[in-house]
Amino acid sequence: MNAKRANSLTLLVLLILSTGVISIFVPGNFLSIRNLHNMGRQLPEYGLLSLANMLAMITGGIDLSIVSITSLSGVVAGTILSQYAAIGLPVGVTIALAILAAIAVALLCGAVNGVLVAYAGVPAIIATLGTNGLFLGIAIIITKGAGIIGFPPQFAFFGNGLILGIPAQFVIFLVAVGLVALLLNTTAQGMSMYMYGSNPIVARFSGINNHLVLLKTYLAGSVLCAVSAIIMISGVDSVRPGYGSQYLLLTVLIVVMGGTDPNGGFGTVLGVVLSIFVVQILQSGLNFLGFSAFFMKTSWGLLLLLLSVSHFLRTDIIKNHIAGKYLKKKVQPDRAV
Amino acid sequence: MILLFSLVVTIMNPAFFTLQNFFDLLHNSSGDAILAIGFFVALLSGGIDISFPAVAIIGQYIAVNALISMHVSNLVLALAISCGVGIAFGAVNAFFVSVFRINTLIVTLGTSSLFHGAMLELVGTKAVNAGQLPKCFTDFGYAKVLHLQTASGTPYGLPLFAIVLAVVVLATWLILRHTLLGRIIFAMGGNFEAVRRSGVNIRRVHFFIYCYVGFLAGIMGIMSVSLIRYSNPTYIVDTELLPVIAAVVLGGASIMGGSGTLTGTLLGATLIAMLQQNLVLMGLSSYWQEFFVGLMIVIGVTVTHVQRKFRTGNRLTFVRD
Repeated sequence: MNAKRANSLTLLVLLILSTGVISIFVPGNFLSIRNLHNMGRQLPEYGLLSLANMLAMITGGIDLSIVSITSLSGVVAGTILSQYAAIGLPVGVTIALAILAAIAVALLCGAVNGVLVAYAGVPAIIATLGTNGLFLGIAIIITKGAGIIGFPPQFAFFGNGLILGIPAQFVIFLVAVGLVALLLNTTAQGMSMYMYGSNPIVARFSGINNHLVLLKTYLAGSVLCAVSAIIMISGVDSVRPGYGSQYLLLTVLIVVMGGTDPNGGFGTVLGVVLSIFVVQILQSGLNFLGFSAFFMKTSWGLLLLLLSVSHFLRTDIIKNHIAGKYLKKKVQPDRAV
Repeated sequence: MILLFSLVVTIMNPAFFTLQNFFDLLHNSSGDAILAIGFFVALLSGGIDISFPAVAIIGQYIAVNALISMHVSNLVLALAISCGVGIAFGAVNAFFVSVFRINTLIVTLGTSSLFHGAMLELVGTKAVNAGQLPKCFTDFGYAKVLHLQTASGTPYGLPLFAIVLAVVVLATWLILRHTLLGRIIFAMGGNFEAVRRSGVNIRRVHFFIYCYVGFLAGIMGIMSVSLIRYSNPTYIVDTELLPVIAAVVLGGASIMGGSGTLTGTLLGATLIAMLQQNLVLMGLSSYWQEFFVGLMIVIGVTVTHVQRKFRTGNRLTFVRD
């Protein structure tokens, strides 16, 4: 079995195990429809952001500005929505306009990131760190630091409605997961992203337009952020710059826990989705069992470290013990860092 | 860039270029400058340590609580506790980095989440305000080495913080420039494999680097408490991370490790501190601050990298981030 499947399998076991343990301790309540609904409502917000970060990480980068893109597009959409009475257009059109505006703003942000990373050659971690402040700053300037309220009631559907008994945002999340999986597995862009991530020079010499691939990666990520923004502001029926900033480190944790290689070239949608579920189950479960939010923070940190250690041990054993028997020599470990 | 910025600010507001403002700047930003130096050392070796805000906060909170429960007011003890916590924290980071060879960003992300959560769970979440704070902290915050007076009679002076910063700078400079250890740190960022094969005990160097970062963060934690006279167990965690990283990167240190100067780091820290302090003086309201810090980073790094791109020209130097 290769490392790819092994990691997803570990996560699956962890998922079933934690669900089982928590269900035993909280009989009846944990797997009730109500709690499943609650989890389905919370999970898409950071689930979409995690997918966005995964795309960047597959190309060997990282996107630290996702939360700010979400804030900025949320603020723009919120500004349009709160003026719906003044604009005088039908409610449906206003909502569509707001969503389009959110996506357009996010695309603009993604383009800035993409140009910086691809064409100016700035390392992604620094470029997105800078744009993180920039975008959030613009959002704060627009609202003067205050929140925006007063959306049309129909808009609340995205964050509170049900489609066939399933929370609307969870359906949107599943569609996004499907689209990202298609992008990564069936398109030339997805293939190029993996190739660029594992070796940019080889990718360049195989005729891939590295710059364009990177630009498209950040554009795709930013669209996911816009969708997350719509869900978020619809769910709480208001918007404030910086809303959701606690998700930034969580998404990095989820993506890495999902088996994505932070150095690029490797990562699966399945792994990341499983990892999102594990985090949500743990969050709700620990909440049910009466643990505090701080304990959750501790457990996430612990989980990240333990999974990394287990990943190391697994590859180390494969390299040095199993492969070594056949190759008759010790394979040098990878460069740390 | 700093000169340019100073010039602009001075024109906008003549109050800027005074000794008093300079001392204020030192007073407020010495802590961040120390964090920046720690981050810089980790970055030089090719790693990234983002656990320093968590270390600073845990160190100071434990120290403050320990002093209160012991009913003593001793700054040396507080520093010892805080730095001890920092070194222990750094040792855990180094353990994961060197033994399991996990990506440093992930290790420090994990440990800061782990320990900050654990501290809030075990030690408590109650903020300690100025009234309960042992007197040694406030004294440390006010302490001046040099006493001067303005024309209107307001006293001001060179803060003790500046001396702490100077000692840290000097020590770091000596280590990086004049010891074998320092040269190894540079070399590790340049070519890890070459250093490993030349027989260096990498594990020991890793332990030194991360413990040193923890030690500096411990000092900064105490300084921060003394400055704001308030010990809040959730305060520094997310507010200081980005400005510090911005300072180091603006100072020209390479994010891939191996190159960068201490002077650059200090200049970067000064620039960020000036920006934070003087936007208000320039008459812009405080919510422009986030925007400008972001803009500075973007412009700063873009200029450096585009320059590098032009310099290397058509050579096939593909650099991974």
